[in-house]
Amino acid sequence: MIASSLILIGLALLGMPLFAVIAAGALYGFHTEEIDLAVVAIEINRLATIPVLLSIPLFTFAGYMLGESNAPQRLVRVTNAFLGWFPGGLAVVAIMACGMFTAFTGASGVTIVALGALLYPALKEARYPNNFNLGLITTSGSLGILFAPSLPLILYAVVAQQLSLDQPISIDDLFLAGIFPGLLMLAVLAAWAMLVRKRSDNDATTTSFTARECGLALREAIWEIPFPFLLLGSIYTGLLAVSEAAALTVVYVFVVEVLIYREIPLRNLARITREAMVMVGGILIILGVSLASTNYIIDIELPAQLFETIRENIDSRWTFLLLLNIFLLGVGMMLDIFSALVILVPLLVPVALSYGIHPVHLGILFLANMQLGYFTPPVGLNLFIASYRFNRPILELYKATLPFFFLLLGAVLIITYWPQLSLFLIT
Amino acid sequence: MEDGLLGLILFTMVVLASSQVIMRNLFDSGFSWGDPLLRLLVLWLGLMGAMVATRLDRHLTVDALLRVLPPALQRITRFMTKLATAAVCALLAWHSARLVAIDYEYQSLVIGSIPAWIGDLILPIAFTVMTLRLVLQAIMLFRART
Repeated sequence: MIASSLILIGLALLGMPLFAVIAAGALYGFHTEEIDLAVVAIEINRLATIPVLLSIPLFTFAGYMLGESNAPQRLVRVTNAFLGWFPGGLAVVAIMACGMFTAFTGASGVTIVALGALLYPALKEARYPNNFNLGLITTSGSLGILFAPSLPLILYAVVAQQLSLDQPISIDDLFLAGIFPGLLMLAVLAAWAMLVRKRSDNDATTTSFTARECGLALREAIWEIPFPFLLLGSIYTGLLAVSEAAALTVVYVFVVEVLIYREIPLRNLARITREAMVMVGGILIILGVSLASTNYIIDIELPAQLFETIRENIDSRWTFLLLLNIFLLGVGMMLDIFSALVILVPLLVPVALSYGIHPVHLGILFLANMQLGYFTPPVGLNLFIASYRFNRPILELYKATLPFFFLLLGAVLIITYWPQLSLFLIT
Repeated sequence: MEDGLLGLILFTMVVLASSQVIMRNLFDSGFSWGDPLLRLLVLWLGLMGAMVATRLDRHLTVDALLRVLPPALQRITRFMTKLATAAVCALLAWHSARLVAIDYEYQSLVIGSIPAWIGDLILPIAFTVMTLRLVLQAIMLFRART
């Protein structure tokens, strides 16, 4: 079994699509157990039995539509009108806008492309240090995945629910648990931005606060402003299930961006649909095959064995958490967040439970670590996206993101070792 | 055709899902077949999306190592992983075709009176298409090399 897993890991590192790696593992595993391989097809078929999955294509489609419209510009204008006047304000605007946008569009790289192109020149014009700008934009590309209704939160709940734990996990709990850890990350970055602003020269431009600009910005975005409140309100009050809210989101975004603002020509919808569905297909196929592999690893009681092995070497929960942090950072660098979720969560949740870690807390710290992995040098994905997008050498990106990395690492450690931060809203 | 079908499924999904929400919350009713159909559409949409992802070579992969390999070596590894992926997809196609056959034989139903095998049909179709596409892509890579 060890030899075959090594071969699979090798294939994955050589760039074999992960769904095929996972499927190969499941097929091989069931084959050695002499179980009919049609079980793999049955498990993939179970994609049609999990109601909340409906929200994945719907939110992704809505997110891609938002990315194509001028909603990012309006979002920046509104936040800038209200926050842009104090020192460091524009950087804080960037952080808030990116965080919100990522929550609604999923961690798919859309944020850097849609918002980065807008904010990077703006920051430059306001004479923030260039390294700071690069670092901030790269870091902000993954900010916000802890806020509802981000897809990684939903997917974590779905995968964990497949394990039929004694302690049930609901999506609503994860949505609640993500709030304060997510805010902590925003606050850390905002504080740093204001500090940098103070240290750098003072000839810098801040926009002055005028009621007029606030009014204009609000009026321009009048159709979009109620939307996050309605969406989050209906989810948090339990008025709508997540997938119901997702359906209404698509309708709302379509009506506003396509019919009212008319920023997305109808002929572009075909391309947007295809782009979004490629992403959805990539996520769902990997989830489908991982239902099979999860079934297999539960069958052979791998999590229990894993726990035995780990416990022989580590007996304290805190040491375990520390090693988990290091491990997840490495994983986050190599794997995208969705693949990491479906591959690792079935193994980690039972082990973490045995160490007395709450599964909801585990989810939050897992995603927080993964978020950091997006820009962990040397191979974090967003470093490459930003290097490509802003045409800067990758080494410059390493240097620029380093302070942000350590700041958010601090935040991740707090999230890891202070479970109550995630859990106190949950009864 | 594929893209058109994807659009159609997504469109159906949005319309059906939102009308279900409205009917449920305002009129306390809804189609009993609505929710199972929506779940089935998720499966179809996911697999068709995977077909398109195969066509465009956009599956989720670990490309950290690939990025630093020299181009010649990259082509060789890409060729090999394409064939390996094709083999996996072929196996999946075969076993999901067996599942369709089993469901056909037992006449099981998925929604109302729709037989389950029709719902399953997307699995062998998608995996067969993916296998063929991967083999084609591998051949193209091979020919580009020589």
